Amino acid sequence: MRDVIVIGAGPAGLAGAISCAANGLLVTVLDEFMKPGGRLLGQLHQEPSGEWWNGIKEAERLHQEANKLAVDIRCGISVYNLEQEGHHWHVHTNTGRLTARFVLVATGAAEYPIPVPGWTLPGVMSIGAAQVMTNVHRVQVGKKGIIIGANILAFAILNELQLAGINIDRIVLPEKTPISGKAAEPEEIMKSLLQAAHLAPSPLLRFGGRFMKHDWIRKLGLTFFPKNGVKVNGTPLQLRKAAVEIIGKDQVEGVRVADTDVNGMIIPGSETIYEADFVCIAGGLYPLAELAAVAGCPFQYVPELGGHVPCHSEIMETPLEGLFVAGNITGIESGKIAMAQGNVAGLSIAKQAGKGTGTIDQQLQQAVQNIRNVRQNAAIQFNPEIDKGRKKMKELWKEHYAKGDEKFHKIG
Amino acid sequence: MTNIENMIICRCEEVTYGQLLSTANEHKCSARELKLRTRAGMGFCGGRTCRVSIDKMIEHVKPNITPGDIPLKYQPPVRPVTFGTVGEIK
Repeated sequence: MRDVIVIGAGPAGLAGAISCAANGLLVTVLDEFMKPGGRLLGQLHQEPSGEWWNGIKEAERLHQEANKLAVDIRCGISVYNLEQEGHHWHVHTNTGRLTARFVLVATGAAEYPIPVPGWTLPGVMSIGAAQVMTNVHRVQVGKKGIIIGANILAFAILNELQLAGINIDRIVLPEKTPISGKAAEPEEIMKSLLQAAHLAPSPLLRFGGRFMKHDWIRKLGLTFFPKNGVKVNGTPLQLRKAAVEIIGKDQVEGVRVADTDVNGMIIPGSETIYEADFVCIAGGLYPLAELAAVAGCPFQYVPELGGHVPCHSEIMETPLEGLFVAGNITGIESGKIAMAQGNVAGLSIAKQAGKGTGTIDQQLQQAVQNIRNVRQNAAIQFNPEIDKGRKKMKELWKEHYAKGDEKFHKIG
Repeated sequence: MTNIENMIICRCEEVTYGQLLSTANEHKCSARELKLRTRAGMGFCGGRTCRVSIDKMIEHVKPNITPGDIPLKYQPPVRPVTFGTVGEIK
């Protein structure tokens, strides 16, 4: 019988499966998509060092490594429920039920949209969908596109679309509503972009990064922000324009855009229509934690981590026996962090299963330290306060779930 | 012209921004109550698309989040499956 079921064959799940299998555990990995790799399959960017990060190659490398260790990878399978019974977990899938003592939930993140009037028209998609169409399925999204929403994810994918020769006409902000919130405030956007400016691998964020750190200069900068925007690799970023409506009869034909003041409030009578045949909405990412929730795992709202995350320790255990988490389900970060976390989760499982030689504790410690190193060397953070979020979760775990004595029993 | 009131938030159940906002304002309700009153988040996708929007609207009307609670509960099946799949243990 298998020892471990990993849900999700992305960077976290594959890395977790590999370190479990390397320690002699029998592992099955399940994934909804038709091939392993998860979000790695869409990633392509240049690191600050000049080296290229090719997600497809990374996915292949992990897949091969898992194959060598006889990990059983099953694609095209959806998990719809996760239940504990005694010391075992039942994983319910669309092709039947699987059981194991340990489960690693590595389901990653999902995108959330910012609804805009007209967003149900064909030709409107999330920015991540444009990435998948371009880099995974190699389909041209359209002839001329507009991105609504300016965040790190949007810029990373803009760059990928440009590399593929897809024409993005401009980036504008969404209209200010209770739903769009800060995503519609030019100053908030400017702040978050400037935090990444010193690390930006491309010239995209270098505009004024150094001298716009003071509030008053930033305000001044926004007041005089060029109407036509600032070019990001040739695509204008227009912080003082908001998308009021996506227009079209049977499909996207354009976006009605209004000028805004420095706070994102619309200036009446300033509307223009920009033609486009597709629109990408860049809302953001949130941890996809459905399965941890139906399993009965306690949660905590940690905005720095991207929303509600399952409570977990530094070594990726949850308060539920045999249930582990890794990757973006624990907080929105890069694929490299997900891999490092997957490795920790795998070692953690091996330790609880009584595998590994006397060095397992040391390996685990090193793996935890490795997550911190990778984070410190990351070029760009989805949330600049990620460290604060991770610390909050660590404290919470220490306070509510760490069980000093019991832990030592488990080691033996 | 589509105005913001008629903007669809829950695409599966076709619930508009206007419906959600007026219900939230009238009843000062929780995210769960808003869901039950309007069916937003109860469609095919299980709220995967509109969950964040609904949370944000409730936060706007009634800003008191309990950090330990998920506003809209998750329930199995978390993916669309046939009755046959759920009913039968293979």
